Order: sequence, then structure tokens, then C-alpha cells
Amino acid sequence: MAEGLSLDCVTRRYPDPQSKGPGKLALDRISASIAGDEYITLLGASGAGKTVLLRVIAGFEPPDAGSLRLGAQPLNGLAAHRRGIGFVFQNFALFPHLSVRANIGFGLANRAIEPVRDPAVLRRRVDAMIELVGLGGLEARGVGQISGGQRQRVALARTLVTDPKLVLLDEPLGALDANLRLRMRGELRRIRAQLGITFLHVTGNETEALAMGDRVMVLDRGRLAQFDRPEVIYARPASAEVAKFLNCYNIFPGRVGDGRFLAGDGAFPLDGAPPPATAAPGAPAYCIRQDLIRILPDGTETDGAAAGEAGLAVRFIASEYSGAAVTYFFASAAAPTVAVEAHLGHHRPLELQPEQPCRLVWNPADAVVFA
Amino acid sequence: MGQSMSDARAMPATASETPLAGGARRSLASYALILPGVVWMLLFLVLPMLMMVYVSFWTQTTFKIEPILTTKSWVMFFSSPTYVGALWTTLRIWLIVLAATIVVGYPTALFVGLFVRSKTLSTALLVLCVIPFWTSFLIRVLAWRPMLGEQGAINILLRAAHIIHQPIDALLFTELSVIIGMTQIYCVFMVGPIAFMLGRIDPNLIEAARDLGAGFGRIFTRIILPLSMPGVVVGAIFVSVMVLGEFATSAALSGRKVNLLGNIIVTQVGSLKWAFAAVVGVVLTVVMGIVVSLFLRIVDLRREL
Repeated sequence: MAEGLSLDCVTRRYPDPQSKGPGKLALDRISASIAGDEYITLLGASGAGKTVLLRVIAGFEPPDAGSLRLGAQPLNGLAAHRRGIGFVFQNFALFPHLSVRANIGFGLANRAIEPVRDPAVLRRRVDAMIELVGLGGLEARGVGQISGGQRQRVALARTLVTDPKLVLLDEPLGALDANLRLRMRGELRRIRAQLGITFLHVTGNETEALAMGDRVMVLDRGRLAQFDRPEVIYARPASAEVAKFLNCYNIFPGRVGDGRFLAGDGAFPLDGAPPPATAAPGAPAYCIRQDLIRILPDGTETDGAAAGEAGLAVRFIASEYSGAAVTYFFASAAAPTVAVEAHLGHHRPLELQPEQPCRLVWNPADAVVFA
Repeated sequence: MGQSMSDARAMPATASETPLAGGARRSLASYALILPGVVWMLLFLVLPMLMMVYVSFWTQTTFKIEPILTTKSWVMFFSSPTYVGALWTTLRIWLIVLAATIVVGYPTALFVGLFVRSKTLSTALLVLCVIPFWTSFLIRVLAWRPMLGEQGAINILLRAAHIIHQPIDALLFTELSVIIGMTQIYCVFMVGPIAFMLGRIDPNLIEAARDLGAGFGRIFTRIILPLSMPGVVVGAIFVSVMVLGEFATSAALSGRKVNLLGNIIVTQVGSLKWAFAAVVGVVLTVVMGIVVSLFLRIVDLRREL
């Protein structure tokens, strides 16, 4: 049952309506190999090509170049309804004229390959799936008469009951409210683990991507920017763009000069920092995580800073309280805003005045540098 | 009217004190909106229909009609094979034309509403369907004569292609020509509503069905057809009401061989037989009422639209 998906240089180009040129690259030579029993999240900004990649894998759109395989089966040229790949739509795309039961049973009863003709078998399999996703008691309802979370479960059940080898989920939690989204995260992981098949889950939310994925794929403007375990992505983003998606890094543009990274009026020591990743695309950048910075209110400039620490002179602008943590925002010549996240379990909240000069310090070994 | 308008404007100030009274007044004002429509329909639809039923029981003599109640006209209608035959002809032609408009119209609507991705193009195609309506009804009907006649375009073409050697004379002045003419004229009323319903189907639904393994045939019968049924019903109601009341197409294309209920009304009114025309009118109205309510049974339009 568990079959891996492999992508080899998959490219998809969209014609540009304005010019007669070759058009915009929606997918640029995506190569990846996904195991048969994995939860993969696919992270990227809107327009990065996440949905296009899913649609190409599902067979709704052909790739312009490159090949796809599911297990030993080549997917190129195979019609969508013969691929054995499930697709859960962002808007769920439930059949509005059918009941919950008929929606879930649709694939089994109507598929071209090995349709289930015996009503008793159909009933048993649909019942088992209704049990798995927790929709008991709602079988006879119309899909317009159930809540958003229940519709999400119908969409998932409808796909899973057909025993897909791979399930593609296009922002499946996007249409749910925040509370439900948190609960469905655990549910999705539980259901996947129970079935032992691969889920490929598209999301624009970095927390969701890190929390749910066994591995995370980061797409940046049609290219696969990084594909690794969440803790690696979080600690060692492969490019400044990836660091930007993660929403937890301060990124200083600049350049490397005599053993230091020069950004505006800041000069950060590179000794002790991991060697700059020179292969990364884009301009040189120095990235330091928001929660690894210490704030020294001015006056304690020399007292608080340990030897060998990197530092930056800043002005305090504002702070934002979010329960367990406070995020402080500073302005500096090196970057327009520098954010520092302080967890209240470890730090007392600071009393800072607007425009108050401060000094930020951090361990150079924590920085991620692209040159 | 002016009084209630100023009341409505003053309402926000007092709304917090008497929300219920305010709500009641608002709904009273909203009833005023339908007043012109109700008055119009009562005067020019309900009243004339009651009048028609009443007149159908009047006594008709050769030159005058008197309000003395009698069932003579009704007995005459149902005892004459000509008139009962006209009722059956009307029903038969209606069913055939209805089927023909669905057979011709549904695939067209499927193409326009579902397969044409661009909204602009599908609107343009629907406008194309309406182009025949830029000419008058009479011209559209009469234009079929040089097409279908013994020396008409179709016979000339078929003979030039050596498919036939003798002209086909069954094309014009027969029931067939009436059916061809009516199908052409009323087809667009079927295409429009169906294309509208098909255009509203979320493309993701079809992709989802495909993804679940269904081939096109299954997707059509299980998803597309049921979701477009409201369009078919609305189209069928349009076509039915128009075909059942038809008289001009059959008069122009049948050579007076095909008599529909509409033709009988025209003839009877022409010879001042008002009572008998009213009988036929009542019969026709009852038939239409039954047909429309049967169609509304198929689909709950209030839920679907």
C-alpha cells in the first residue's frame, strides 16, 4: 500500500497573457523523493507554486517537463481518475446534492477501476470510514446542514475511503476557525498514522508546516528551496528566503568583509558562526532568530555583553504582548525593524520607553549567514 | 406613502425604545413594495382569467353572446372529434418539441456553460444563440418556407448532392415542419437556463469526482446532470408555456393542416365565437397549470436557485 512519490525536474509554465514570451515558471525543476509513509507539509508564500505542484501530482494539469512516479508506476500521461491519488480541496468541493453518506461513498461506487457494486460492502466500508473520521450520526444529513469542521471530515473521508496511495491536501485547515484548526492538526496526524499512507499537505502557515510535517518542503517562486525535517528547517534555513517564510528570523542584508558581516552600521563577527552558505541563491544576508537575542537597555552596554557576543545599537519602537511571550520591535540602521521575542517564563517584561536607545546582543554561533 | 416614508426616516431615533413596533412598521412598509405588482396582476391577470371562465358558460348564438349560463360550449368542445383531436395534437407537438429542444439544447448548454472556460467567450456564445431574436417572429417562421419547400434549399442541396432524385415534399406543410420551426425558435429558452446552472457548478466538484476515480460518463450522470436539473426544469417550463400557447408557427408552416388549441382560439375569436374561444382558453390554461406544477414537482426550485 505504501508507495513513495518521486518527482524529477518537474516544470510547469503558465503562458503570460501580456507578452508572447515563454511565460512565467510556476514550477521550476522540482525534484524530490517522498517515502511511502510520511506526513509532508509544503510551505510557501501565496504564488509560490504550492497548489500548482499539487494539481500536477493529482493529474489536473500536465507538467511541461520532468517526470513523476508513484512507486513503480509512471504518472506522466495517466488520467487523474486512474492515478490512485486523493485530493482534498481547500473549499472541500463536496457534492451539494448528495448526503454525507453518498458523498463519502461516491468514489467507491462510481470509480472506473474496480467499482464497489455490492451495496453491503459499500455500506460497510463507508461506515468504517465514518467511524474513523468521527462523523457518526450525520450520515443522512445534506452537506449544507453540517458545520465547517464536519465538512472537512467528509472531504477527508470521501478521499480516504477509496484507499489512495497518496493524499494531497490543499490548505485543508484554511477554511476552519482557529480553534478547530488546532484540533484538526492532531486529528489529521492521527488518521494518517492509522492508515500508514503519505499525506502531502499544502499550507501557507509556517507554524502549521513545522508542527505537522515529518518533513517540510519549502517552495520559493516555483523552486524547491529546502526539504528537510522541521527542526533543521527552523534552525538552519537553506536560504534567506526560507528564513523569511519561517517568520522568526531577523534578516540583515549586507556583505562579508574581513572576517565580519557588514550590515549598515553593524558589524557582526563571523568567527564562531557556522561557515557562510555560499551556494544559497540571493543577496548576502545575516539571519538571527528572534528568540535568541538578548536586550540590554542602554547604559549597561559593556556590563551585560559577554566577550565575543555580536551586538547592534537600536532604538525601541513598540512591543506586542501575546500571552506567553512579548515581542519587542526596534529600529536600526542595519534593518528597518528588528524583532526580539522574549518568553515570559524565562524573562521579566522590560519597561522600555519609545525611542529609548538599547543594545541587542546574541551568540554569533546562533546566526545563519548567507554570502 | 409620504407619511410612512417620514416614519421610516424617524425610526432610528426611536428604534431602541420600541424595537418590535419599529420592526412591524418596517415590514408594513416593505409590503408597500409589492403593491403595484399585486394591483397589476389582479387587474390584468386574475380578473381576466375569472372573466374567461365566466364567459365560457355564456350562451352563444350566431351573431351575439348573452350572459345566460349554459354548458353548451363545453359539451360542444368535448363531443367534437376535431376539437378533442386538437387538444391531443397540441399535447403531442408539445412533447416532441420539448424533447427536441432538450436534445439539441442540452449539449449546446453543456459546451457553453461547462467546457468554455472563459466567461467572456461563454457570454458571447449565449448572445449568438439570441441573434435570431433580432428579427421578427414572423420572419423567423416564414424563413423556413424557402428552406423546407419542394423547391427549397434543402431539397436543392440534397438533389445536387445526388442523395435524392425526387424532391421530398414531406418537409413543408406537415407536422414535421411545425416541429422543426418550433424547435429552432424555442431552443434558446432551453439553452439559457441550463447553461446558467452549468456555469454555476464549481469546477473543483468535477475535479474532485475525477480524483475519486470516476470517468466522464459517471461524472455526467451523477454530478453534472443532477446539478443542472433546475436549469432543465426552468427551460422546460419556458418552452412548454410558449409551445402550448402557439398558433403562428403552425399557421405559417402547416398549411392549416395542423390545428393546435391556439389556432382554434384565433379562428373562433375571428368569427366572434367568444364563448367557445373562452372554453378553449380555459382548457389551455388548465393544461399549462398542470404541466408547470408537474415540472415544479421534479425540482425544488426555491432550494436550488
